[in-house]
Amino acid sequence: MPRLLLLLPTRTYRAHDFLEAAERLGVDVVVGSERKQALADLVPGKTLALDFYNPKAATQTIVSFAQDYPLDGVLAVDDDTTILGAMAAKALDLPHNSGSSVAATRNKHRMRMLLSQAGLLSPPFSLFDIDDDPVQAAQQVPFPCVVKPLCLSASRGVMRANDPEQFVSAFQRLGTLLQAPDVVERGDPLARQILVEGYIPGVEVALEGLLVKGELTVLAVFDKPDPLDGPYFEETLYITPSRLPEAVQQDMAQCTARAARAIGLKEGPVHAELRVNDYGAWLIEMAARSIGGLCSRTLRFGTGMSLEEVILLQAMGADIGSHTRDRLAAGVMMLPIPHHGILRSVHGRGAAVRVPNIESLEITMPLGQEVIPLPEGAQYLGFLFARAETPERVEAALREAHQQLSFVIETMHGACG
Amino acid sequence: MLVITEAAKEKIQSVMESQGRGQNGLRLGIVGRRMSSFQYSLGLVEPGQDTDDDVVFDAGEFKIYMDAGSVQNLEGVTIDYVENIQGSGFKIDNPNPLWTDPQHMAVQELFDTRINPNLAGHGGFVDLLEVKDDTVYVRLGGGCQGCGMVDVTLKHGIVAMIKEEFPEIDNVVDTTDHASGDNPYYQPGKG
Repeated sequence: MPRLLLLLPTRTYRAHDFLEAAERLGVDVVVGSERKQALADLVPGKTLALDFYNPKAATQTIVSFAQDYPLDGVLAVDDDTTILGAMAAKALDLPHNSGSSVAATRNKHRMRMLLSQAGLLSPPFSLFDIDDDPVQAAQQVPFPCVVKPLCLSASRGVMRANDPEQFVSAFQRLGTLLQAPDVVERGDPLARQILVEGYIPGVEVALEGLLVKGELTVLAVFDKPDPLDGPYFEETLYITPSRLPEAVQQDMAQCTARAARAIGLKEGPVHAELRVNDYGAWLIEMAARSIGGLCSRTLRFGTGMSLEEVILLQAMGADIGSHTRDRLAAGVMMLPIPHHGILRSVHGRGAAVRVPNIESLEITMPLGQEVIPLPEGAQYLGFLFARAETPERVEAALREAHQQLSFVIETMHGACG
Repeated sequence: MLVITEAAKEKIQSVMESQGRGQNGLRLGIVGRRMSSFQYSLGLVEPGQDTDDDVVFDAGEFKIYMDAGSVQNLEGVTIDYVENIQGSGFKIDNPNPLWTDPQHMAVQELFDTRINPNLAGHGGFVDLLEVKDDTVYVRLGGGCQGCGMVDVTLKHGIVAMIKEEFPEIDNVVDTTDHASGDNPYYQPGKG
């Protein structure tokens, strides 16, 4: 049985889906996490504790482990593990991305420079330190603009500013977020910097792909029918296939492939966010991993394979060329967080899942926990999934089911957000 | 079939009176087996909350309701209420064996002596519900319920150990309602 090291942060949403996929494929998975698993001592060779913030040391741990338990593949699941994944795969002489390419996907300023240098459509951009004077910085940026952290994911910390006053507020707010304990504990020097880009108007889509020897295979293109105009960029609906014209989708695929080449990515899953307007396709961001949260559950390939199965097969060196997406349209709603507070109860679950074409509902936020909306929030409230003949029906089902849900969130006084 | 000490009776009556909603009595059930002990649920029963399947024990001043699945293992139980320097609470002495079937006993021993002591470090536990044919049914709780890494704990820990110790077992079914977990050890989050 082939053995693959799956780099899974303990904060991942993806453990269940990847382990299920591995079981279906008969792949012996070793789980590498930044903390020791509860039963690690009782079952040797199945889990591995790795220092994700020290990839050099973690790579050495993996190489030592592989002497006793040879590895046929290494797969990084979330952003936190992509650099280690590349380094470990290289050390084990397995197909890998270069460390510099993966590092660029973890640094939005570096990525923006590479894309611009390669001649891709790029907005003006500037880099600031969190200690810089935002009033002075406001004199150097275009408006409207978008204020971003270099190192966070899923729209966390991303804010639009239409004028200097909004800019100063957004800059200070992001500076505060970047000093939050969960960000600081990573010890990432990038967390002291802020990227400011010109705002790119247009329709936003997400592209899910796989790179093999530098060639991009597009697995799915998701429309995002809810407007993402700011001031924050809370993602809600992802629906595939895209309803954009075929030529536009081709343009996006070409843009993504060019971006991957510019960054230097050659192997494994990629998740790209793009905007399309009269000038063409603009790459907003690219990650060297697959789609986040539970959103991959929208995708089925061939005779029902999951995205995780396709990714695992590719990581094991199998041919993935024939895996076409299921003919049905599908979509997910990342449930919007209504306001900050403590989640006390969720009502209407039964009614929501009874809406025709709704496949399932997952509330991922435990009751009693603090829910924090963007731009500070770092957790999803939950996910609604739908599948139907057309994207229009999927979208209608998700919107109707969401109407059935109500969340009791007890307001907290004197807290952030 | 049950013995309720005077201290326990007084406490139960006191709690019922303080609630003041005309309770019928107390519901007693077995919810699991862990670390050589049954795990119990205790709660007040308000009018209309009893069911036709309940087995009812008349304790005089109040009734004790037991679900049919628990009643066999509650035979001869003594309910006491104790107050000492460590605290206060109901104490249940149960003379019944956790299991009588050797396979159940062996799996329970694996849970009690090896798996649960390690899960306790994460505030979690696993209960053995049943062994039927080639399948073991379990339920996880505490920090394991709803934990983002529970699949790793299950597949790379509990399942692996069960299959190693009991080659005749092909399946382990997790019956946990993970969505109801309110204190998971690892909570997923965005990067």
